[in-house]
Parts: sequence; structure tokens; C-alpha cells
Amino acid sequence: MTHDEIFAKVRATLVDALNVDDNEVTPTARLKGDLNAESIDFLDIVFRLERQFGFSIPREDLFPESIFQGDPKFVAGGKITEPGLVELQTRMPYADLTEFRKDPRLDKMEDLFTVDLIVNYLQSRVNAK
Amino acid sequence: MTLKDQVAIVTGGSRGIGRAVVLALAREGARVAFVYKGSTEAAQALEAEAAAAGLVAKAHQADVADPAAGDRVVAAVLADWGRVDILVNNAGVIRDKLFVQLEADDWNTVIGTNLNGVFAFCKAVSKQMVFKQRSGRIINVSSIAADHVNKGQSNYAASKGAVNSLTRVLAAELGSRNVLVNAVAPGFIETDMSAAVRNMAGEDGLKKLIPVKRLGKPEDIASVVVFLAGPAAAYITGQVITVDGGLSLGAIS
Ligand SMILES: NC(=O)c1ccc[n+]([C@@H]2O[C@H](COP(=O)([O-])OP(=O)(O)OC[C@H]3O[C@@H](n4cnc5c(N)ncnc54)[C@H](OP(=O)(O)O)[C@@H]3O)[C@@H](O)[C@H]2O)c1
Repeated sequence: MTHDEIFAKVRATLVDALNVDDNEVTPTARLKGDLNAESIDFLDIVFRLERQFGFSIPREDLFPESIFQGDPKFVAGGKITEPGLVELQTRMPYADLTEFRKDPRLDKMEDLFTVDLIVNYLQSRVNAK
Repeated sequence: MTLKDQVAIVTGGSRGIGRAVVLALAREGARVAFVYKGSTEAAQALEAEAAAAGLVAKAHQADVADPAAGDRVVAAVLADWGRVDILVNNAGVIRDKLFVQLEADDWNTVIGTNLNGVFAFCKAVSKQMVFKQRSGRIINVSSIAADHVNKGQSNYAASKGAVNSLTRVLAAELGSRNVLVNAVAPGFIETDMSAAVRNMAGEDGLKKLIPVKRLGKPEDIASVVVFLAGPAAAYITGQVITVDGGLSLGAIS
């Protein structure tokens, strides 16, 4: 499956799950910030992608929102530490952290969850087959 | 008819409050699946009474305390009617004893039925309502005993207090998907459950405590459940509605 094919499927999934318009689902759109997804929507998206792609997707793989659990090694003063960033990159090898590294505030981590992130993740899963 | 073509599940529908809820929902046009535990005759009689009135009520035998019951009943209802718009968690039991005499079995039976049963049925309908339908109503039958102390009801009060808390958290989690979750807290209602207390305290003694000077009838609760299930309650969620003729006001004289 090509990147574009995966993107098209992801867009269709997000349009259904989030009641948004086709043209709102751009590669850089953030699920929370731009598409107004709530935590329950993340689950819905995962379920729908699993059905679309026919393999199981551990929610923590795609949206590792709570990986740090306040662990002081990984989070300090509301920011993700260097070891935390390394951990994050290990968990999400398909995520581009360049921008995020400049101001790695925990409360901005949700901005990492973009349409492209889902596409890249799925691409890595499809390729691994 | 406010609930035309909707599908409802009512646990504990064979007797008492649940029976009145089944008939009231069906009269509003809903197809109602109801769960009973042991009263087969009463369940069949209710099916027949509904059918004779041109209403749809179908009995399902299950013990709500059995962790598999929720999924099994919901799957059967989906196979029959393809959706679930309304869930009324009404099945409940009491095992009243002073705490020093209370055994683990008394505790577990009450928590297992009144709380774990609610969990299992909510869980069983949740994905259908949240992801497939994006709409639904869950109505839990609680009790004023959650917040107003009756000695001998530690297990029962704990179960109903937990149901109220569950109601609020579920309401917050599911609201964005238009699944509304509320509870009704009855006071003294004339059913088999309250018969022992009524016998011991005497009806006159009880009526003195109730500002409207009568015990409640199952229909007094059923009408509120119908309201919470219907379009008039579209903006209510996470609430525990007390229906007790003023009993919990605690007026002294
Ligand atoms: N009556 C009151 O004054 C009062 C006050 C406050 C709250 N409530 C609450 O209102 C609800 C209904 O009470 P009620 O007075 O109508 O009670 P009830 O007359 O004793 O009827 C209880 C109903 O629940 C069913 N049931 C009990 N355990 C069950 C189980 N494990 N699995 C499946 N069904 C089960 C019974 O089925 P079977 O017929 O098969 O046994 C029956 O249909 C309860 O949640 C109760 O706590 C009642």
C-alpha cells in the first residue's frame, strides 16, 4: 500500500469517527487541536483502523499518551526530560520530534498526534508485513 | 408516543418497579427486552399482558451478577432488534443486617447484583451506543439509601452510592457521543422488596415520615424513567433524581 492509499483510508476513518469534513483532514492536522478529538475518540479511531487494516493496533502504540505516568526521570517541571525524549522516540519511531524538542512541554505532547503520525505508523506496520 | 421504534433493555423487569418500567416504556412505543432471574411465571405473564395490549416485551432469563450475563443479553437483543437505545439497570436486592452480623456472602450478593450487574450491562451496551449509534440513554435505579442512612443497609448503601458515582463518571465520559447517563433514587415504593419493612414499621408510621403522606407506587418511578429516556430529557446527564415524596427532606414535624 502506498503512502497516499493509506492516507486516503485514514482520512475516511477520521471523517467518520470525528464528524469532520474531508478537507479538514490534512497531513498536519492535529487530532485534538484541529479536529477536536476527545479521549474516547482516540479509542474509536483505533477500533476503526483495526477494522480497516485488518490487524490489531495496541492503543499505546499509536497514542502513547500516558507513557510517562509522572515518572521524574522522564518528566520534570512539566517538561519532558532528555531521557524522556529518547524514550518517546523509541516508542514512536515513526514520529518526527524535531519541532517538539525545541519546547518539550508535556501538555504539548498531544500536538504530536497528527494525521501524518497515524499514516506513518500504519505505513511502518504495513511494511513490516 | 415518545419512544417509537426504540429498543430498551430493563433488568429486573418481572416484578415491582422494573415491571412498571417495562410497561411504561412499551406504551411509549419502545420494544422492551427485560431480564428476570427466577420468576418465570411472572415474566411470562408480563410478556402476555404486553402482547394483549399490542405492546412488545420479551423476557430474558439471566442473573445480572453473572459477569457473562450483560454481553449475552445484549447480543441477543441486537440479534433480535439490531440496536439498543435505552438501558435501565433496575435489578436489585437487599440483604439487610447490622454490620456486625453481616457475612461476606451478604456483602457479595448485594454488590454483585446491584453494582457489578450495573457495570456489566453498561459495559455491554457501551460500544454499541458510543461507537455504532452515537446515542443512547442509561438509567440506573439507585436509592435514597445511598445518601440517607438506614441502619442495617451498609452493603446496600455502598452499592447504591457506587452506582451514583459510576453514573456521574459515565455521563462525563460518554456525553460527547450523546449517550446520557442518569439515575433515579426512589424512596419507599410498594413492592416485594419493601414489604418486610412496611410490615415491621406499619404503613401509618411510614406515611408520617413522608411529606406527601403516601408510599410510592412503581408507576411513580416508571414515569420518571420514561422522562429520562425520552426527548424531553435531552439535556440532562449525570444526575441522580430523587423520587420519594419528600421523604429524604428529613422534615422533623
Ligand atoms: N422498593 C423500594 O422501596 C425501593 C427503594 C429504593 C430503590 N429501590 C430499587 O429499585 C429496584 C427495583 O426494586 P423493587 O422494589 O422493584 O424490587 P423487587 O420487587 O424485589 O423486584 C426485583 C426485580 O429484580 C430482579 N432481580 C433481582 N435480582 C436479580 C438478579 N441477580 N438478576 C436478574 N434479575 C434480578 C427480580 O427478578 P425475579 O423476579 O426473577 O426475582 C425482580 O424482577 C432495585 O434496584 C431497588 O434497589 C427500591
